[in-house]
Amino acid sequence: MADVPTQNQTGTAAPQTGGGFGAWLLDPKRRGPLLVAPAIIILFVMNIFPLMWSFGLSFFNYRASSQRVPRFRGLDNYQDVLTDEKVWERFQTTAIIVGSSVILQLIVGFLLALLFAKAFPMRRIVLMLVLTPMMLSFVSVGVFFKLFYEPTFGVVSFVLNKVTSEPFVLLGSPEGAILGIVIADAWMWSPFVMLLVLAGLVSVPKYLYEAAEIDRASTWRTFRTITFPYIKSLLLLAVLFRTIETFKLFDIVYIITEGGPGSSTETIAVYLYRTAFQFFRTSQSSALAYIVLFIVIVLTNLYLYSVNRRAEEVS
Amino acid sequence: MSIELKKLTKRFGSLTAVDAIDLDVGDGEVLCLLGPSGCGKTTTLRMVAGLEAASDGDVMLGGKRVNELAPRERNVAMSFQFYALYPSLSVAENLAFPLYAEQLSGAEIEKRVAQVAKTLQLENILKRTPGQLAEGEKQRVAVGRSIIRDPQCFLFDEPLSRLDVQLREEMRGEIKEVLQDLSRPTVIVTHDQLEALTMADRIAVMRDGRIEQVDTPHNVFQSPSNLFVAGFIGTPQMNLVSATLKGSNGEGLADFAFEGDQSLKIKVDPAVSQLAPGATVTLGIRPRNLEMSQEPTEDSLSTKIDMVEPMGAETLAHMNDGHHDLRLVTDWRVPLAEGDHVHTRFPPDTTHIFTEDEQVLRSTP
Amino acid sequence: MARKHREIGKAGWGYTAIASVIGFIYFFPVLWIILTAFKTRTDALAVPPKLFFTPTFENFVSVFYRTSITTGTAQATDMGLYFFNSIFIAFTSVGLALIVGTLAAYAFSRYPLKGNDTYLFIILTTRMMPPIVVIIPIFLMFRLSGLAGSYWGIILLYTAFNIPFSVWLVKSFFDELNPEIEDAARMDGANERRVFFNFCIPQILAGLSATFVFGLILTWNEFLFALLLTGVETRTVPVAMARTLGGEVGVDYGLLAAIVTLFLIPIFFVTFLLQNQLLRGVTFGTVKK
Repeated sequence: MADVPTQNQTGTAAPQTGGGFGAWLLDPKRRGPLLVAPAIIILFVMNIFPLMWSFGLSFFNYRASSQRVPRFRGLDNYQDVLTDEKVWERFQTTAIIVGSSVILQLIVGFLLALLFAKAFPMRRIVLMLVLTPMMLSFVSVGVFFKLFYEPTFGVVSFVLNKVTSEPFVLLGSPEGAILGIVIADAWMWSPFVMLLVLAGLVSVPKYLYEAAEIDRASTWRTFRTITFPYIKSLLLLAVLFRTIETFKLFDIVYIITEGGPGSSTETIAVYLYRTAFQFFRTSQSSALAYIVLFIVIVLTNLYLYSVNRRAEEVS
Repeated sequence: MSIELKKLTKRFGSLTAVDAIDLDVGDGEVLCLLGPSGCGKTTTLRMVAGLEAASDGDVMLGGKRVNELAPRERNVAMSFQFYALYPSLSVAENLAFPLYAEQLSGAEIEKRVAQVAKTLQLENILKRTPGQLAEGEKQRVAVGRSIIRDPQCFLFDEPLSRLDVQLREEMRGEIKEVLQDLSRPTVIVTHDQLEALTMADRIAVMRDGRIEQVDTPHNVFQSPSNLFVAGFIGTPQMNLVSATLKGSNGEGLADFAFEGDQSLKIKVDPAVSQLAPGATVTLGIRPRNLEMSQEPTEDSLSTKIDMVEPMGAETLAHMNDGHHDLRLVTDWRVPLAEGDHVHTRFPPDTTHIFTEDEQVLRSTP
Repeated sequence: MARKHREIGKAGWGYTAIASVIGFIYFFPVLWIILTAFKTRTDALAVPPKLFFTPTFENFVSVFYRTSITTGTAQATDMGLYFFNSIFIAFTSVGLALIVGTLAAYAFSRYPLKGNDTYLFIILTTRMMPPIVVIIPIFLMFRLSGLAGSYWGIILLYTAFNIPFSVWLVKSFFDELNPEIEDAARMDGANERRVFFNFCIPQILAGLSATFVFGLILTWNEFLFALLLTGVETRTVPVAMARTLGGEVGVDYGLLAAIVTLFLIPIFFVTFLLQNQLLRGVTFGTVKK
């Protein structure tokens, strides 16, 4: 059958490159997997393999600091974690921070998107101003927001002092600390939501707005009928993506409050870090990490579902 | 209620898209803006609607100058080339949309929607969304959204351009019927001359931002006022041949010389005698008006048939006299063969004469 | 009511003024940081905080040259090295991810396998997981294999980080291409490699730059893994910034601000250039323009 050209999915004939491994490698049937291979290999080594290792660790009582041979504990680690009151507290804290921050990001991002939806002179430059917060590193945002919140040196305190004539201590109380973190995080990432919504707003065909103008529709009706359907799914995308990312929040929290005062702002990620690297309870932290991973996978599923839905809607 | 455009101009930077045009559309009249791409017809329409601001000149609706008014304040209805149906609303909701601004009762709105649906045969698809409609249905909904209102005027931007040929024929008739019942001025923009010829009460032929001729379809066809209109209207295109006027006798018999030593004498409009001998002119004659004869006559050119295209009930013959290509259309029963030599006659009453500056020569009737 | 109206969707300078004010308010913290970079030590921690002051460049100098308190002589700091590291590592890993990801994306798009969606899902999930889950094994892995502190280790890791989004985005670009052009090229005798390089790639160049910018933004400021996995020679700027915090005399805000400002410039520049493309990246390729 050597004379009959073989067809691959893209419908071309197989190249006759002469026998041997080379031909085997370049055969169209293998082309797909071959192209994907480098990516998969790197991902496997760097992500999947460690994941599995970590998974394995969670069943032992391995401690990275000691030389003891780890003992198999089965699901005990998981049980410990799930019954630990402290863990549930952290989950709650994380939920509050994530929830507040995402809502704030949605509102601010949406308003900013409305602002930038029109074409005005120097739009590109003003847009850059608003995009800059996203480009700062978490460390710097953390450090400087901490400074802003400082009772004596901070700008925020200074301004508020003028208004309320009271010294302003934000980070001293649990509620204040959470507020401080939420504001910093929302400030950084609202531009992201803005970009998403903006992309949607910009993709609405101009003639729909013209038709609405001719039909004498009110601003609210125009928004409800034309604009909102286009950005609905993008908003959902934004919510899911930011929620997943905020769940992983570590840097900002650690730097601004170190989880304090006390442990009132200790998110899951910070707690995990502590458990693993300060207390060296390696296995336990692995178990907890996997529980978090499970939550994230559920959310990711939702996210992917919504992306696919959106891709179908648009095509 | 009428539309008047006075010296209406639109400039985009250094480009003048619409150049000081004057136009009137009377009550109940259907006027077509016809022309090639880029001639400024859509821009003109949009200025009437208020979607483009005029650089100069006046837009008058019902005798009032409306340049400063936003589209919503002008109370005009417009049907867009891409239909602009609201994708998230059903057909019924799309139709009802313009009525919300009028503060009518729910029952009244329903009634009107039902009425329009009946007129345009949309009753079966009232619950569907635009994404589920066929092109023809979308087009009818777009028209429906316009006629459900009682605006000052109706504007249509290339209403049939997205339909296939068969649908277009159907819709042409339907739209014409609908338009007859409207008592408001209507402006239709199109690049398809067949549409214009069948639907319009008057046609304004545009080129490069100017109106070349405004007249009834019949007159635009029979009596084009310049070379452009002559060449633009009518398919197959009018034959346009360059010639030199050798001279004319007192009775209107003019002698024309063509490149290649051929010449013919035809009886022309007396206005031609005002031209000096040696003047360059263009002779225009429609393919269906050319006649053939076996014998040479003083008003014919000697030509050879290059190609014969059967068109069903008619035949299109491409002839050449050695320097010029002529197209002739005749009944299918006339025997024609490639390579035949015939004489092509220019009958006097269907031959148009255009001067060097492209204007038609005709003395006023 | 008669008023001058404007074309829908456009606005004039009045709008620009309002938008600028709002933009400025939003930008204020960044502005403060940049200003702090020009402040002297005392100015930075002035009570009440100063908006107007005499600017100085001493912080910027300090970034690269520091006078040691103990020896009293000026020495060059390693900040130049750190900047180089950040740029080198970020650009290399994002670029690598883009290359590898594009190949994979092409495969996913043009040679779909059974279970394509599953593979894509798994790939994307690897990006979604909290770093904490993998940090310990990776840390151990790096130590055992000697990759800790080397360039290739961290570059490989960052490449792995960027692959999921690269694959995802670029695949959506390939999906959008008109297959007729490729078919025509094939019929003209082009082999698959030519079709890919000369026909497919040029069409999605804009999308590729969007993916590049997006990946850059995500990688540029990465802290956690850089903290644990870079050594003295390969340290990136975010880690260096964190190290200034544990200084001898508390936080030198001026110095930190200078570093932040300098570090902001490259990514600011890239984002500005490819602003329009960024929109594409952020929406994960699901919005057509």
